Amino acid sequence: MESNDALETTGRLSSHAKLYLAVLVIVIVTELIGIHKFPVGPGTVVLLPMLFAVIIGLLITPQVLGTVIAGLKKVISEEEVELAGAIVMISLLPLGVKYGTLVGPVVEKIVKAGPAFVLQEFGNLCTILVALPIALLLGLKREAVGASVSICREPTLGVIGERYGISSAEGTGTLGTYMTGTVLGTIFFGILGGISSITGLHPYALAMACGIGSASMMTASSASLSTAIPAMKDTILAYAATSNLLTGVTGIYSVIFLALPLTNYLYRKLQPRIQGEKEVQ
Amino acid sequence: MEVTGRMILNQFKVLLLVVIITLIGQRIGYGISILQAIPGMIIVIVICMAALIIKDFTPQLKFPSFAWASLIALVLTMPFVPTSKFMLGYTKYVSFLGTTTPILAFAGISIGTKVARIKELSWRLILVAFCVFLGTFFGSAVIAHIVLKIQGII
Repeated sequence: MESNDALETTGRLSSHAKLYLAVLVIVIVTELIGIHKFPVGPGTVVLLPMLFAVIIGLLITPQVLGTVIAGLKKVISEEEVELAGAIVMISLLPLGVKYGTLVGPVVEKIVKAGPAFVLQEFGNLCTILVALPIALLLGLKREAVGASVSICREPTLGVIGERYGISSAEGTGTLGTYMTGTVLGTIFFGILGGISSITGLHPYALAMACGIGSASMMTASSASLSTAIPAMKDTILAYAATSNLLTGVTGIYSVIFLALPLTNYLYRKLQPRIQGEKEVQ
Repeated sequence: MEVTGRMILNQFKVLLLVVIITLIGQRIGYGISILQAIPGMIIVIVICMAALIIKDFTPQLKFPSFAWASLIALVLTMPFVPTSKFMLGYTKYVSFLGTTTPILAFAGISIGTKVARIKELSWRLILVAFCVFLGTFFGSAVIAHIVLKIQGII
């Protein structure tokens, strides 16, 4: 368990201190900026402090603004970046507790909506129907399979890595979606969550959709959706958290038994038609 | 790997600092008094530590500590469970949005080294990833909408 060793404080006190101070400053600044909402038709663009926090956090790293402002590297160097990675997992836990306290009181309501929770999990397979044809149109080959099989968080990375190897074409595709999600996912879902009601889909249904199997992306989308529609805030957050919990449990099996076979099947059918040549395997 | 007291202590230190940052953040952002929020935050820390310890001792389950934390809090706040009133009375001073800001600040810093790698990614893969995001989100939303409608919930 390397991530826990990374938290060791002995001999690395200054690194810890610099990182926590940087985060404290970011939190103070972004909370002062506060929440900004812009109505767009029936939807709302919601800019939350967390959105500013992820952007500022990203900007102050050595490879971004650190290359421009030399002094910045003294505060946030590669070492602090690495430490931040280890801390993210633990910093998520208070939010996990908060989500639990939002679901607990309405547990009967959740059970009542059980069929919807279970069936909407199959909606995750729509990644394939939407993304695979587009990937093929863009000229991708087997990368298309890895990229569109699922939202590609850690469990998928494990499955694809084991089956094809992470440096295979499929692995490259999965890594592509994984990296894009890691770097841009919260920003993307933070905007999508609030604006999604523009589709006319019910906020409860959108709330379930927020639970895509990544705690941070679920948080970004559900926080944004619930800020856009404050009257339904508690139910939105409870539904999103429950759906995410469910995806966390079912996700990996869905990839192994449904998503991957389906992606490969569709690839065999669509690839010759879209790209007009049979690939030599 | 063996779970050591030292490891647990390190996790506790991180948690404590995250909670202090959250207390300051939610005071500024949402006007929640720090003193009033302290008991709720203590409950949060206790549950988080339980989640971390359970996860460390059950590596074969592959159930993330975030899910454990949610699950424990969920069970303790169900209406027919005696701890419910006590738990909700204090954790209501823990702001949902307030807990999210420090996470994303750490997350933002932690992805710093990956920015160079995303620049190397083909724009095609990034575009496909966005289609994946939209597909999973609206795929689930459409099914949920239909089923909730059939059930008469919406």
